[in-house]
Amino acid sequence: MDFTWSKEQTELLDAVQRFASQRLKANVIESDRNDCFNLEDWKACGQFGIQGLPAPVEYGGLGMDALTTVGALERLGYACKDNGLLFSINAHLWTVVMPLITAGTEQQKRKYLPGLCNGTLIGANAMSEPNSGSDAFSLSTTAQKAGAKYVLNGSKTFVTNGPVGDLFAVYATVDKSKGAHGVSGFLVERNTPGLVIARKLEKMGLRTSPMAELYLEDCEVPAENLLGTEGGGSFLFTRSMTWERGCILASAVGSMQRLLETCVRYANTRKQFGQPIGKFQHVAGKIVDMKLRLETCRLLLYRGAWLRTQGKSGFLEASLAKLHISDCWVKTCEDALQIHGGYGYMVEYEIERELRDALGSRLYSGTSEIQRNLIASLLGL
Amino acid sequence: MKILVPFKRVPDPGSSSPYGMSEARPWIINPFDEIAIEEALRIRERGEAREVVGVTIAPSAAEEQIRAALAMGLDRALRVDDRRELDPYAVARILLAVVRQEKPDLVLMGKQAVDDDANQVGQMLAGLLNWPQATFVSKIEFLNGGQRAQCTRETDRGLEVIAVNLPAVVTTDLRLNEPRYVSLPGLMKARRRPIELLTCQQLAVEVQPRTTVAATSPAPRRSAGLKVESVEDLLVRLRQHEKVL
Repeated sequence: MDFTWSKEQTELLDAVQRFASQRLKANVIESDRNDCFNLEDWKACGQFGIQGLPAPVEYGGLGMDALTTVGALERLGYACKDNGLLFSINAHLWTVVMPLITAGTEQQKRKYLPGLCNGTLIGANAMSEPNSGSDAFSLSTTAQKAGAKYVLNGSKTFVTNGPVGDLFAVYATVDKSKGAHGVSGFLVERNTPGLVIARKLEKMGLRTSPMAELYLEDCEVPAENLLGTEGGGSFLFTRSMTWERGCILASAVGSMQRLLETCVRYANTRKQFGQPIGKFQHVAGKIVDMKLRLETCRLLLYRGAWLRTQGKSGFLEASLAKLHISDCWVKTCEDALQIHGGYGYMVEYEIERELRDALGSRLYSGTSEIQRNLIASLLGL
Repeated sequence: MKILVPFKRVPDPGSSSPYGMSEARPWIINPFDEIAIEEALRIRERGEAREVVGVTIAPSAAEEQIRAALAMGLDRALRVDDRRELDPYAVARILLAVVRQEKPDLVLMGKQAVDDDANQVGQMLAGLLNWPQATFVSKIEFLNGGQRAQCTRETDRGLEVIAVNLPAVVTTDLRLNEPRYVSLPGLMKARRRPIELLTCQQLAVEVQPRTTVAATSPAPRRSAGLKVESVEDLLVRLRQHEKVL
């Protein structure tokens, strides 16, 4: 069992961290307050190569394996506090870029991947509906084949990157009676008539990641924009969710590392009752727990990614990682806030925002309850 | 036109303890040299130069900075293998030998390195070569089909425009350009590029440092100042206590 990164990986990861600390300049406190997506930082990430990390070189990507990719995203999360931006990048990577790589036609890949990799195109995911969330495949958006086109009708919610997206992965059913086997994926370009961004949604955290409700009203999509096969949407979605669950919280592990360092520094310098507060066991104990969570999260993250580099699906491990990291991230944010006392509750200390950002992780990509259901069923329960 | 860009690796002045970095102390290309590399690349990109060669005098650990320079777009990179702490005159003499071997039309380099701030190598190199020099340059234009370089220099009196015949040594100031940021694909590709290795022996140059560093110590810490309530207060302090007015 070898836990060391190769020299090449180390160089790449260091470069990512350096990039994030030198080039991502947005004032996150302001952006969070104003619900503002930092497009300039998105573009900088694209030009640097982040959005193309797992994509094949021939389509403008870097061709990195899953393990190196999560390592890079972890460093990004360490050096960049804009969790909303990172959430947008993750949604883009796992729900648009990755399905295109695994199920896209040659023509689709040539048309969209270079732009998606270099930051000029933003991908958005339209799966959830007002009446189908955890029970995703019971969706009611329909796709009717009409000659060389599909006509889409329905409404979608919680569309990450919706307000700024250029390319939407939309799931609809071609035959409701077939249940999950009727669900199909479509690539819908922003300007397609009938695709209407209805409303921008305001969130508790991840406020710098824009989210929208949209509806499809006789939205005509060329048949060549079917992603994968007709009725293959549930397979496609499950596969992209496995990638997402396994990778989306890599940046949270980086955030936990940063919070740990911040707390150690604070506990060593903040003095009360004549000594650094780190000397008090209640404070020290919290920091030890933060470290323990960080290390267990990292192991689950790496092992899941490693399985994927071995060609395994890692379905169970992805759920375990998602469930554990999301919970640990929230708890670590709470501990960091508590260690900082009243200051932690102040916006300028940037810990309360981290906590608000972290809370979403128990909900997206399948709630913690859904992850437990998946894991339980895989254990034969 | 062929451009030679000497560059130096320096400790990153902006770094505090970085997480998980491969080295305890991160190194970067001297920022003024990075500006020189960028300018050379821009000159090549607008068709006024055909080749940009970078050279650094450093131990093998400088590979990462050399790769970063290659990733920016150098055509070739040379490393003179030397791990000694060389003084500016020694560096200039090694560069002299490299210039004689490479025969560039222009040597473009940072006005100084941000580690020791000596600001001497460019001037010494021009002197040793008996070439014209333009230092602290914030703008370069070529005249007569690349036979002359018109350079805007930043001086204490303001901007000075001079023209030098090529070959020449030009040292770059901060405002010449903003260097491009190397992308990940660029870095990955640069990993597979060769770095040409030279030694002082091959270059037939023997250098002995002429200066020795007697001691280094951190700058003395300034003690905290005094806050005054008003301008009147300030005047009283300056007149009666400090007696400077």
